[in-house]
Amino acid sequence: MLATYLIGLREGLEATLVVSILVAFLVKSQRKDRLPQVWLGVGAAVALSVLFGWLLSYTQTTLLRDYDDRELFEAVTSIAAVVFVTWMIFWMRRAARGIAGDLRSRLHDALAVGSFAVLIMAFLAVVREGLETSMIFYAAVQGADVNGGPLYALLGGIATAIGIGYLLFATAVRINLTVFFTWTGALLILVAAGIFKYGVHDLQESGVLPGIGTIAYHAAGVLDPSTWYAALLSGMFNITAEPTVLEVAAWVAYAVPVLVLFLWRPRRAAAPAAAPATEAGATAAPEAATTGPALAAHSEPQPQSAPAPAPQQ
Amino acid sequence: MRSTRFLALAAVGTLTGGALAACTSDKTDGAAAAGGPIAVTATDSACELARTTLDAGTAVFKVTNSGAKVTEFYVYADGDRVMGEVENITPGLSRELRVELPAGAYQASCKPGMVGQGIRTALTVSGSAAPLAEDAALAQASADYSRYVRSQSTALVDKTAEFVAAVKAGDVAKAKALYPVARTYFERIEPVAEIFGDLDPKIDGREDGATKELPFTGFHRLEKDLWVGGDVSKDGAIADQLDADVRAIAAKAQAEKLSPLQLANGAKELLDEVANGKITGEEDRYSHTDLWDFAANVEGSKAAVAALRPALVKRDPALVKSIDEGFAKVDAELAKYRVGDGWKLHNQLSEAQLKGLSDAINALAEPISKVAGVISGK
Ligand SMILES: [Cu+2]
Repeated sequence: MLATYLIGLREGLEATLVVSILVAFLVKSQRKDRLPQVWLGVGAAVALSVLFGWLLSYTQTTLLRDYDDRELFEAVTSIAAVVFVTWMIFWMRRAARGIAGDLRSRLHDALAVGSFAVLIMAFLAVVREGLETSMIFYAAVQGADVNGGPLYALLGGIATAIGIGYLLFATAVRINLTVFFTWTGALLILVAAGIFKYGVHDLQESGVLPGIGTIAYHAAGVLDPSTWYAALLSGMFNITAEPTVLEVAAWVAYAVPVLVLFLWRPRRAAAPAAAPATEAGATAAPEAATTGPALAAHSEPQPQSAPAPAPQQ
Repeated sequence: MRSTRFLALAAVGTLTGGALAACTSDKTDGAAAAGGPIAVTATDSACELARTTLDAGTAVFKVTNSGAKVTEFYVYADGDRVMGEVENITPGLSRELRVELPAGAYQASCKPGMVGQGIRTALTVSGSAAPLAEDAALAQASADYSRYVRSQSTALVDKTAEFVAAVKAGDVAKAKALYPVARTYFERIEPVAEIFGDLDPKIDGREDGATKELPFTGFHRLEKDLWVGGDVSKDGAIADQLDADVRAIAAKAQAEKLSPLQLANGAKELLDEVANGKITGEEDRYSHTDLWDFAANVEGSKAAVAALRPALVKRDPALVKSIDEGFAKVDAELAKYRVGDGWKLHNQLSEAQLKGLSDAINALAEPISKVAGVISGK
């Protein structure tokens, strides 16, 4: 029973983590008006997953029935989700740099968050694992006439994941704005790296990329997949016991440059334009500064990649 | 704002592109998964497959986890290449894996606890149903034959309705005249009909094959009442059932797409039907209209071969020639017994005449039996 619960928790976390950070981000940046789009995206993804799971479990439909088609679907939605999450990470970076103090009220205008983009992001975050979860759900329903246990365990796991997502949100909205953007951004980078690794794994499984059998390391000894912490780690960051070499490469290739770009702060680059905003940001964001300059010290500031903290025209 | 919209569109494009790619790779030979799913019983220490030899094409495994750990089921090709996998089979659950398997040696593996090499079983896949559909000429064969099935099953529904109406109206003479005609359309596509389990025996079962579950109904039941008793006044329900079953089978036949290999086997089966049922006079033992069925089976076989013809000519022109000669001989032999629109009755033919028909059929069956091998490249 615990095993089924943990599966529900893991699959649930994969979706709720991104959504809860997205919601926290919108609330923090005074874009509550975008929340209906988030729920619409989540609702559409859940509805689609439930419908498709039903079609696949109870009808003869051939769409997405074959193994490699389904893997490809998950790979494409995962990688699309990475694109959106990365983009959100850089919203956060911009927010962490430029927003503080008296500018807080102008955050609303500073960040042009497309409603459609928000909808698609929420949709992708949920749909990429939604179909698999819904297939497990129907398998549990079909077994439920013998013993309802697996079904309740699965639903319990999903409910716990939603609970954790809510806690994350509740914690995130309470912390200091600059700290929030820095830390949720960094957290999101790890999540996105996990999703990217997952997408690469599915591309390998669907046969688009080679090397599915080339395992980088075996860590089942310390990370037994049947434990709760392994379920949490794999649900949140897709840290698994037996990744392939390409998966690990993908994770590193995403996480390292994005993390460096995210934390790196060019000291002088911001000087020429939008002086008031930058100054306000620089003085009122000491928390971010503690992590930023350490990395920045090693890199040459490049003017062309200067962030644009100024309010958009 | 502009960049926002651009990114959104790009991602949606990727998404729909992916979804479409998934739609179009819709495998055509779902029928190759004949014989139902292969049951796999997984526990924490064992992995048992109901079958370990299967036909090439879409394989379906139904994996049931009776253990205490979450398990995964894999099918590996040489060098641990993953052909298919289903994850998250939690204790007590059954999940399906559908995967395309060309002929070859594979390993099935259950991974209780989701780690390690798994518990492996050798799998042998033979035949070559899957690559067949990739050949354009063969893909065309399936499509052409589908068209034939559509036209024949439509006529079957119409003619059966007429026959049923005559039976219910108590018009024995008209029913007798329509009986062999309606059957013609059924006999032409019988190999397709046989795929659908109970429907074939319900429509075409004989008295000696009847069981408690499948009582004596359908065409032959009405045949007996028409010819032996001459009274069909109590057969209303049986007639209606026949009408419904024929409609059901026509709908299913039209939705079914036979693989080239099934076509080749169907062409042979129809000739076997002739040899076993029609030459002997067993099939229509009350009406003796066996020659109608005989002709229909031969026509059906010819249609299946015709659909495969472009592919066959490419692979084995000599075989095509001997098949053509075989059909010509059967046609010539059969033509001797033509009477108007129909045929002589089985009991009007002498032993020698039946022997002549039988020889022609056997001579044709010989090259026809090679078609499947040529099509599958063996
Ligand atoms: Cu028959």
